[in-house]
Amino acid sequence: MELNALAEAPAARVRALDPDAELVARARADPREFLGLYDRYFDRVLGYARLRLADAASCEDVTSRVFTTALEQLARFRGEGSFAGWLFQIARNTVRDVQRRRPTEPLAEEPPAADPTPEEYVLERERARELHAVIGRLRPEHQHLLALRYGADLGYDEIGAILGAVPATVRVRMHRILEELRRRFPHDNA
Amino acid sequence: MTMHDDSQLELLERDLQRLAEPREEDELVRLAVRRQLAAMTAPGPRRRRSVRIAVGIAGVAAAAAAIAIVTDVGTSGSGGPSVADAAVIHHALTAVAGPANSIVHEKVAGVQNGVPVEAEWWQQTSPPYASLVIKGPVGHEGEVSDNGTTSFEYEPRTNTITEQPDSSPPTPIDPVSQVRQELASGQSQVAGTVVIGGSTLYKIDLPNGLVGYFDTSDYRPRYMDDPQRDGSVVRVRVVAYDYLPMTASTRALLSVTEQHPGARVVHASDSGSSK
Repeated sequence: MELNALAEAPAARVRALDPDAELVARARADPREFLGLYDRYFDRVLGYARLRLADAASCEDVTSRVFTTALEQLARFRGEGSFAGWLFQIARNTVRDVQRRRPTEPLAEEPPAADPTPEEYVLERERARELHAVIGRLRPEHQHLLALRYGADLGYDEIGAILGAVPATVRVRMHRILEELRRRFPHDNA
Repeated sequence: MTMHDDSQLELLERDLQRLAEPREEDELVRLAVRRQLAAMTAPGPRRRRSVRIAVGIAGVAAAAAAIAIVTDVGTSGSGGPSVADAAVIHHALTAVAGPANSIVHEKVAGVQNGVPVEAEWWQQTSPPYASLVIKGPVGHEGEVSDNGTTSFEYEPRTNTITEQPDSSPPTPIDPVSQVRQELASGQSQVAGTVVIGGSTLYKIDLPNGLVGYFDTSDYRPRYMDDPQRDGSVVRVRVVAYDYLPMTASTRALLSVTEQHPGARVVHASDSGSSK
């Protein structure tokens, strides 16, 4: 019994560190339980994709592919890092694959019926397009970091856990990326 | 770092957050991907994500025959193509192969070179494949019909129809016709499911680079990716796809002169057109 307890100790430590460890273990035992992880991360993965890709259809495609890949490969996830780190590495690779494909002309989106006005909507769309273009010129690892923070809405501690860095280091790196972005994308309204 | 710099960073952070903020359609996407995952985890044999299959020669009947062959292979345990994928192609082909002596009605929309374009089609499914097409950049569409021997072009600015003999052999020219032909070519490949616009769709790679996306519930075509010579891809949304019975009123949909009874009709030779 003592030997078993010792053997389980590392796994218990991982579980204590990774808030998803319990759900991951259940999903390994019964793949249907993966839907719990999906529900937890859907918004974050879609947000991550939206920060890195301008085309709405590509964002949906990436989100779908991230979760189907994660489900198919869950047995390969050893729990050495966090589940979130593994999932967002899949997201990063999937975005890269999509970016390598031939460019697709995004479909025109219907402007919203009310607030904002059609003119404001067009200006907003144009500004978003320009910002995406500037983000796309950043180094891939900086795009990834930016998308974890502002797309997936992760805290510095969560990003630190994913990247294996202390939160203070993540904060400093993020600040530098924002400064670089600000130089390339000056804000007229300020 | 000045206060001005700080406020610019705050505005930048706000812009970044807005790129990723939730949208109304997210719930549709959430449900569609959830269905996709639920199907993957459902008990039963797992589907192969991408399998090249032979559909047979042309037409739905041929596709059905190919299904029978593939079923034999699939159930023999020889590691042949997936029965499920063959069935997907069969259903997709059936969905785009309408009944004879009817009218196929299609509306498609896309963006080409940054310009939103639309096309709406009505065409007989049997010879002489009479058709009426409204297409072009949104707000500047042209309208043309062809009854198999004569073509008619409507000019809204002058409310004039120009008619001229058309000796080209009548064929189906609707936007989905190429998908129909290529599904039946024996070279199609189911490449899994994807989520577009909040719907779960079968992605089918067609010969010559065309990709068709078909609804997983009714197999209707929803999108097409059409590769261009410059290497880009135009994604076309199939806004409407249905079949109308051939009646006196629906037949009128095939004729520019019926649609614009008050228009002046001129012959191309009279108007000096060289078309």
